[in-house]
Amino acid sequence: MQAIKLSELTAEIQLTFEERFAGETFWIEAEISDVKKYTTNRRCYLKMIEREGRNTIAEIRAVFWANSYSQIEHFEKHTRQTFADGISITCLVRVRFHPQYGLNLDVLQIDVAYTLGTIELERQKTLERLVKENVQSVTLVDGVYHTYNNRLPIPMVVQKIALVTAPNSDGQRDFLQELETNRHGFSFYITQFLTQIQGDNAHELIMGQLELIEQQNESFDVIAIVRGGGSQTDFKPFEDYELAKMIAGFPIPILTGIGHDRNTSIADMMAREHKTPTKVAAVIIENNFQFENRIIGIKDWLQKKTSQVLERANHRLDAMKRLVKASSPEAILRKGFTMVMIDDTIVTSAKSLVTGAEIKTQFADGDIFSTVTKKELHDN
Amino acid sequence: MTTNLSYTEAFAALEAIVEQIEDDSIQLDQLAEKVKQANDLIQYCEAKLRSIEGDLKRIKT
Repeated sequence: MQAIKLSELTAEIQLTFEERFAGETFWIEAEISDVKKYTTNRRCYLKMIEREGRNTIAEIRAVFWANSYSQIEHFEKHTRQTFADGISITCLVRVRFHPQYGLNLDVLQIDVAYTLGTIELERQKTLERLVKENVQSVTLVDGVYHTYNNRLPIPMVVQKIALVTAPNSDGQRDFLQELETNRHGFSFYITQFLTQIQGDNAHELIMGQLELIEQQNESFDVIAIVRGGGSQTDFKPFEDYELAKMIAGFPIPILTGIGHDRNTSIADMMAREHKTPTKVAAVIIENNFQFENRIIGIKDWLQKKTSQVLERANHRLDAMKRLVKASSPEAILRKGFTMVMIDDTIVTSAKSLVTGAEIKTQFADGDIFSTVTKKELHDN
Repeated sequence: MTTNLSYTEAFAALEAIVEQIEDDSIQLDQLAEKVKQANDLIQYCEAKLRSIEGDLKRIKT
């Protein structure tokens, strides 16, 4: 029996594979698992698997080399999903056998559109389920989701804020900074509920924080869920059915600033969406500013009204003064009338005078004294 | 009178006063009293918007 060296056999295998697969590429559908990314030397090792029920019916190792590593970044940027275990992808591969490392698929390209399609399908299903199973809190009106939460009125003034965000994150910093440096000098009381806000179980962690908020003794005016933007943001937690359901029925208005400009997540639709942490803060500040404007408006109105009322009262007073002045005896005497008096009592009727009476006739500039010599009464 | 009112309560009180004054039948001496009440409410809201009691609180998990 003539044994051959292992390397000879592996070389033979390699040759066979090359003869069969050289220059050929395949589009395949598979689930990925055991994903290990090495960002510094830009490699990614993983497994491609296919399941049938609970059984794995196919499995093979795969690798992204440095020249195709950008495909992963492209995928994450456009699908807003982390390239991680459990997701299904469609990708272009080449079969390669290496004498030392064995059989591998070199991944050359990922079909992002396929994943986007899957996400969209999943999303539609989730949205339909939200409407169907939460009749009390979610309704679809002209393409817009009306929820119990996003129909709650925002208080006239927002000061007590529950902030759900990741510790030491850009989102946290931007939000706090915008509020703290607001140009009106409004004060805010912020209680922070810090948690991881992306990654596989982020939706559960966020739900945990919302539960915690509900248990607090103090009442919050609003809840802000924020995180910074950037290309690497993970969209998936905010597409989760349970989180969306909880937001939709939550009794405190929720404002989201979860930082994606192109897409609106399901969580956003169930709440009030303001895109970025800074924008959420700005909306809160503006809300309070409008309240202040209203009360300043009332203040101005009161001032105007008061001076109007006073002015009107003054006018009436002036008119009365003029009337009183015009009807004074002095004014009347000056006009050429005279006053007849007996013993300093005004005589207003000829009837009361008898012939021979001594009377005083008062002019504006002096008095004359006379005796009544004749009296004629008017007929009427 | 204005201590511990919520903004909603304060604003409702303000609106009630405005309504009373808008109706021109208000007496002059009443007007002064109402305007004073209104100004107190406004001042209360303004102060509350900027009051500095309390501070940022952090709850970590």
